[in-house]
Amino acid sequence: MRFTRRRLLVGVAAALGLDPLSLPGWLGGRGRVSAVHIAQAAGPAPLAGLELGDLIAFAEVLLEGRTFSARERAALVDYIEERARDGSGYYTGLYRTTVGLLNRLAGGRFSRLDVAKRAALLMRYHLVSSDVRPGEPLGPLPEQARAVRTQTVPDLIGGYYRSAAGWAVVEYSTFPGRCGDLARYTGPEP
Amino acid sequence: MEAEVGIVGAGAAGGVLALELARRGIRVVVLESGPRHDFARRGEYVRRYLRHENPWQTVPRNLDRYTVGGPVAYQLEGRRARGVGGSTLHWEGYALRLHESDFRLHSRYGIADDWPISYPDLEKYYAAAERMLGVAGTADEPWASPRSTPFPLPAFPLSYSDKLFAPACRSLGIGLHHLPQARNSLPYDGRAQCRACATCQVCPTGAKASVDLAQIPQAEATGNAQVVAEATALRLELSRSGEVRAVVYARRDRAEQRLTARVFVLAGGAVENARLLLLSTSRESPAGLANGSGLVGKFFTSHPAIDVVGRAREQVYPYRIGFSTAMSRQFAIERDRATEGAFLLEFLNSAGPAPDRIAVASGLSGEALRRRVREEFGHWLGIRVYAEQLPDRVNAISLNPRVRDSFGSLAPHIHYSLGAYERRALDEAKRISGRILATLGLSDIRSTGLSFAAHQIGTHRMGGDPRTSVVDVNLRAHDVSNLYLVGSGCFVTASASPPTLTIAALAIRAAEHIAARLRPAGASEPAAPAR
Repeated sequence: MRFTRRRLLVGVAAALGLDPLSLPGWLGGRGRVSAVHIAQAAGPAPLAGLELGDLIAFAEVLLEGRTFSARERAALVDYIEERARDGSGYYTGLYRTTVGLLNRLAGGRFSRLDVAKRAALLMRYHLVSSDVRPGEPLGPLPEQARAVRTQTVPDLIGGYYRSAAGWAVVEYSTFPGRCGDLARYTGPEP
Repeated sequence: MEAEVGIVGAGAAGGVLALELARRGIRVVVLESGPRHDFARRGEYVRRYLRHENPWQTVPRNLDRYTVGGPVAYQLEGRRARGVGGSTLHWEGYALRLHESDFRLHSRYGIADDWPISYPDLEKYYAAAERMLGVAGTADEPWASPRSTPFPLPAFPLSYSDKLFAPACRSLGIGLHHLPQARNSLPYDGRAQCRACATCQVCPTGAKASVDLAQIPQAEATGNAQVVAEATALRLELSRSGEVRAVVYARRDRAEQRLTARVFVLAGGAVENARLLLLSTSRESPAGLANGSGLVGKFFTSHPAIDVVGRAREQVYPYRIGFSTAMSRQFAIERDRATEGAFLLEFLNSAGPAPDRIAVASGLSGEALRRRVREEFGHWLGIRVYAEQLPDRVNAISLNPRVRDSFGSLAPHIHYSLGAYERRALDEAKRISGRILATLGLSDIRSTGLSFAAHQIGTHRMGGDPRTSVVDVNLRAHDVSNLYLVGSGCFVTASASPPTLTIAALAIRAAEHIAARLRPAGASEPAAPAR
C-alpha cells in the first residue's frame, strides 16, 4: 500500500476514535475516495463503542424499523464484532465509513436520533437500499453512500438473518449452526 | 526421513490406507500438503461457512493454482480440500456402494470399459469400509447389490419432506429409499451422534466420518504412523532399477527434503496424483512416471448435476438438517445403459433460499423485509440429480507450462467436456424430477444450471492391460513395481454414485496387498521389496 499524507492522517484520526470523514478535505476527509481506500486507510483500530452504537442504530431501521430487543441487538453486535476481527481490517473500515457517513448526514451522532428521524434520514438518502441504479444521484458523499448501499446494507442484512434473531423471524429456534434435536427434522414444526 | 511405506495425501484413501498398514505393524509416513485443521476451531469454520465462505480454503491460495479449458469449465474451488482429512473434511458423507452393473458397463452394455474387479471381489472390503467409517443405512433399496453384513448403524429416519415425496414417487412407480451415509445416527467409534447442526460441510460435532478425526489419529496411536502436515510432494525420484527411491517434498521454507521408503502410495486425489506423476519426469520416462500407456491424466470424469425445484403452497420446513435422507437409484440401474445414462435422484431436505438470501435479495427494509422473509421462506422442494459421465480420453489433467504454484511446480490444467450421453441423461432426469414435483402440486417448477459434484474421477485408471491402464487390479502402477496409486483416480468408470466408500474399500484392499508384500506370512523380518 502506498504511504501518503492522507492515509497517515486518516489512520491517526481512526486511532484517536475520530470520524475520518469529518476531517476537512485538506486533511484527507473529503474527495472521491473509494470505499476500498477508506477501508484500508482506516486500519485495524477496533470500532469504538459510539461507532458500534451508530451502526446498530442504522441496523435497527434497516432490519426492523424499530428499536431492537436485547436479543436482536446482541445477535447483531456479535456478528459485527466477529466481522471486525477478521484481521484484514476490511470490515472495520467499511463499518467506520458507514458510521462516518451517517454522522455526517445527521450532523451529529446518528444514534442520538429517534427511530422516526433516523428512518426519515435514511429514506431521504436512500441508504436502506442495496441497489444503485446507473446514474443515480447518491448525495453529498457519493462514494461513501455507494459503499454503504452495496456493501454494508447486504452485509448487515445477511449477518442478521443468519443469526438467532433472523431465524426467529421464521420461528426456528435451532437452525444451521445451532445444533439441536435430531428427531426434529422428521415432522412439521410445532 | 524414512519409512516402509511413504504415502502422499491424508484424505479418504491415504488415511484409510495408513491405518490399515499401521495396524499391521508397518511403519508409514504420510505427507500431507495442507494443514491439520484444529477441531477446536470448527465453530469459527461453521460461522465462515454460514457466511458462504470456504473455511477449507488452501493457504497460500496459489498452492491450488490450476487452469481450465475445453467446452465446460470444471472448477476445483470448493470441490476439494487440502489438509489432514482431505476431502472428507467437507464431504456430504454419502456412502453408497457401487452397483454390480457399474463394474461391467462394457460386457453388459457395450459401452466404456469393465473394471478388472467385480462387485463380489470388493464386497467384503465394502463391508469393512462401512464399519470403519460408520455407515448408517437400512437395506430398503430394491436395486442394491447383495450385502454380506448389515449396515453398522441404523438409518437416519426419513424427513418431513421425504414423506411428501414418497407417495408422489409411489404413484409414478418410482422407488424412494434411504440414503446410506457415513454419519453417526448413534454414537460410534468414539465419535458423537449427529445433532442436526445443518452445516455438514463443516461438521462441528465430529458425527460425520472424517479421517482426520478417526483413521489418522488411530493410525498415529499405533506408534507406526507419522503424519507430516504442510509438506507438499514435488516429484518422485527413481532409482537406477526404475523403482521410486524417494518423494521429494518441501514445507513452507521451500527447502527440498526427501522421504525414502520401500513402497510409495499416491493418495492425493485424481488431479494431484496425475499431476505428481506428470511432474516426475526422467530420461527414462519423459512423459511422466508410470505413464507408459500415455494415459496418466486421461479419462478425467465427474458427476454432472442439476437441481429441479418447485414451490409448495404449504410450509415444508427446510434447513433443519444438513444432509439428505432419501434417494432413488432406480434410474441408475433399471435401464439399458447403452443408450440411457444412469442418474441418481437425491430428495433434498433443504431447497430454496435460506432467510439471509431472501432478505438480501429482497431490496426491502424494516417491517416489509421481515414480512417478505416470513412469506417466502420454506416453500421450496427440490430434487438433485447426479448423472454418470462416461470416460472420454479427451477429458484430461495435464500440466500447464505457463502457470506455476507457490513451489514453482507446473499447475494442473483441466480439459473437460460433456457428451451427448450425459446431456440426454440430465434431460431425462429433469423430466422425471419435474413429473414428481408436478405430482406434488408444486408450481414454478424449474431446474438450476449445470453443476458438478466434488468428485474427481479417472486419471490413472486400473486395468489388466498396461497398454490401456495405469495401475493393475491391486492399484500398483504397471510401470513401477513399488508405486501404488489409490483414490478415485483409479476408477475405470464413474457410476452415478458418490465415490468415497469405494475409495475406502479399494484402499483397504490395496493395504492388504501391500502388507502381504512387505510381510509375507511367516516372515519375521521385513521382506525385500518385490522386483
